[in-house]
Amino acid sequence: MANTQTMTAGVIAPKTEKFLTGAQAIMESLVAQGVDTIFGYPGGAIMPTYDALYDYQDQLKHILVRHEQGAGHAAQGYARMTNRAGVAMVTSGPGATNLMTPIADAMLDSTPMVCLVGQVKSNLLGTDAFQECDIIGVSMPITKWNYQVVDANEIPEIMAKAFYLAESGRPGPVLIDITRTAQTDLMTKPFKYDKHVELVSYRPRLIPKTSHLEAAAKLINAAKKPYIFAGHGVLISQAQEELDAFLRKTGIPVATTLLGMSCVPFEHPNYVGWLGMHGNYGANVLTDECDLVIAVGMRFDDRVTGDLSKFITQAKVVHIEIDPAEINKNVKANAPVVGDAKEALKALLPLVNQANHTEWRDTFKKYDEEEFEKITTRDVYHDGDKIRMGEAVTMLSKKTNGNAVTVTDVGQHQMVTNRYYQYNTWNSLVTSGGAGTMGFALPAAFGAKVGAPDREVIAIIGDGGFQMTIQELGTIAQSGLPVKIIILNNNFLGMVRQWQQLFFEKRYSFVELQNPDFIAISKGFGIDGHKVEDRAELSASLDKLLASDKPYLLEIVCEKEENVFPMVPAGGSVAMIRLE
Amino acid sequence: MTTYTLSIFTTNTIGLLNRITIIFTRRRLNIESLTVCETERKGVSRFTIVIRHEDRDAVEKLVRQIRKVVDVLAVFGYLDHEIVFNEIALFKIATPLGGTPLDIKEINLDWNAKVVHWGLDYVVIEKNGTEVEIAEFYQYIKNWDILEYLKSGRVAVGKTEKGLVEYLPESDWETV
Repeated sequence: MANTQTMTAGVIAPKTEKFLTGAQAIMESLVAQGVDTIFGYPGGAIMPTYDALYDYQDQLKHILVRHEQGAGHAAQGYARMTNRAGVAMVTSGPGATNLMTPIADAMLDSTPMVCLVGQVKSNLLGTDAFQECDIIGVSMPITKWNYQVVDANEIPEIMAKAFYLAESGRPGPVLIDITRTAQTDLMTKPFKYDKHVELVSYRPRLIPKTSHLEAAAKLINAAKKPYIFAGHGVLISQAQEELDAFLRKTGIPVATTLLGMSCVPFEHPNYVGWLGMHGNYGANVLTDECDLVIAVGMRFDDRVTGDLSKFITQAKVVHIEIDPAEINKNVKANAPVVGDAKEALKALLPLVNQANHTEWRDTFKKYDEEEFEKITTRDVYHDGDKIRMGEAVTMLSKKTNGNAVTVTDVGQHQMVTNRYYQYNTWNSLVTSGGAGTMGFALPAAFGAKVGAPDREVIAIIGDGGFQMTIQELGTIAQSGLPVKIIILNNNFLGMVRQWQQLFFEKRYSFVELQNPDFIAISKGFGIDGHKVEDRAELSASLDKLLASDKPYLLEIVCEKEENVFPMVPAGGSVAMIRLE
Repeated sequence: MTTYTLSIFTTNTIGLLNRITIIFTRRRLNIESLTVCETERKGVSRFTIVIRHEDRDAVEKLVRQIRKVVDVLAVFGYLDHEIVFNEIALFKIATPLGGTPLDIKEINLDWNAKVVHWGLDYVVIEKNGTEVEIAEFYQYIKNWDILEYLKSGRVAVGKTEKGLVEYLPESDWETV
């Protein structure tokens, strides 16, 4: 009887709809979302999804990295170039824990990222099964949102929610932990993907309140020495034209934060440099003299403010910020403007008066001259035999007309690149700012190149950080993408050494490296490269790097004990900035 | 030290308790008491968290961080005079043969507490009230042998005309 019934049911339903497996639903969701690239690494608990991916290779490009951390940073680099969520896909347990550093990094630097993580079968949850890890628990403090999927039917909705949360409001990393069961089970309803997500508990404000804008405009129009701090939010909200129009109308000087770098071209008449610990002299010192700070899409990080009790105490503050939790967090705002930077600047433009503040802007120039005299000449136009990091970056900047994407790691080379690369193109710096993750640059540069294949992408890395994710040379070689890699090699963990020199009585505690032959390693991976030590050959070496249509590695052997100045001593006030 | 009562409305999601408490942990804030329950709106949970802090500014920052959690609908912070609040305490008191008898009338009328269970040689007394009232009752009842004592976290409603659920983001809320 049972048999007959089943058969009858089959006959009555003319064409039984074939439902997708959870793994197929993941693939369909990615396609429907418009994802084109996945950075990933397979393993046990994610294998059903990798099996489904086999059939989607014509629609989804998967890039096999060499370590899950590489997948995460590559997804970050990709996201920073495209302004869309980078996708990383890894297996459970160690695969997932290896992704935690990039996730923490993306959280601090507001980078949209969707991490698809395999998990053991549902019935094994909580049994200490092979490669089981409570990744929801582990990733909770460092994700914008995370979710464990145990039912295949949930997949389309959760995937849409993940992308929406990662990319909207203040962007950030989202993790979806997908049990093997949810991947292998068949859905019991037709697949339907709706990109349009509405969440009652999450409605980021894009358009600022009129009262907020009016209060801000009033302060701006009354200010004698207003000063704009432009941060990452300007880049994320794509407020290029709005910021430019605002600057041209108001004539207000603008400095950028580390992550805001390249949101104003170096040549812009209002640009006065960058803020923070190793930022420009005038840009920092004059925070003490302005009467109004207009902070746009920045969060007053301690590396920008130094000693908070002494930071811009004389000035009023307009804080334009999409994340309400940032308002009054570090610096009290007299006029908070909660909203998207682009929308806020657009709405403010008609409310602010035409002005030029020429005299006030000229004040910065005096400091620039002193800084040039004391620092730039020594770094760039010196008589020594050894190459200095500053001259290498300056030369690179000139040769690329400030149009390349520079991807930096963390340390002296990072600060030097910011200092000397003169960004002329919008969105040209990818760096690990908030987290300061060594090992970020190589995989992030690769991801950036995947996201922006038409742009020249140059990774600038120290010899220490390079060895943290050196295996990603394999990924780059396999892809064949012409990522250009510069190692500024001083055989030291330079920034730590600098601190030990300045603040720990030159007690160099474990900062000197015995480095491998980087060129041999690079060639071993199939990436051509060469080493330059002679100052006279630096220019030709950079030409060779830039001319290559394949990935290329240039090792620049630098002065060993070079220090990065200006420098605000940690915890000191920005006015205490040291030039030597 | 000022006592703050936070009323947190959230969607009913697994793991959310953890997401909220780690915000306190990270800032080294001790949670004095915590109560979670469903509300009169379907699918909405309410957390009542009590903390003590010297710095109002820090509490406001904390509130903003809680608000930022994706599944949190609304957060309200109150001082004690702005709310009606209570806790429930249970006292298990030994009543051995030959011991001093409990004065049930006094417990009922003077202390506004009641015996909710009569065991063979013990009773369970329930006392509702503020932390202070419960502490006072504790001092009285400890004249007998307390076998077990525990109390719940605070529950609190604001002294506002409208119910707090009226301030939730607009949606097609169903009442329970």
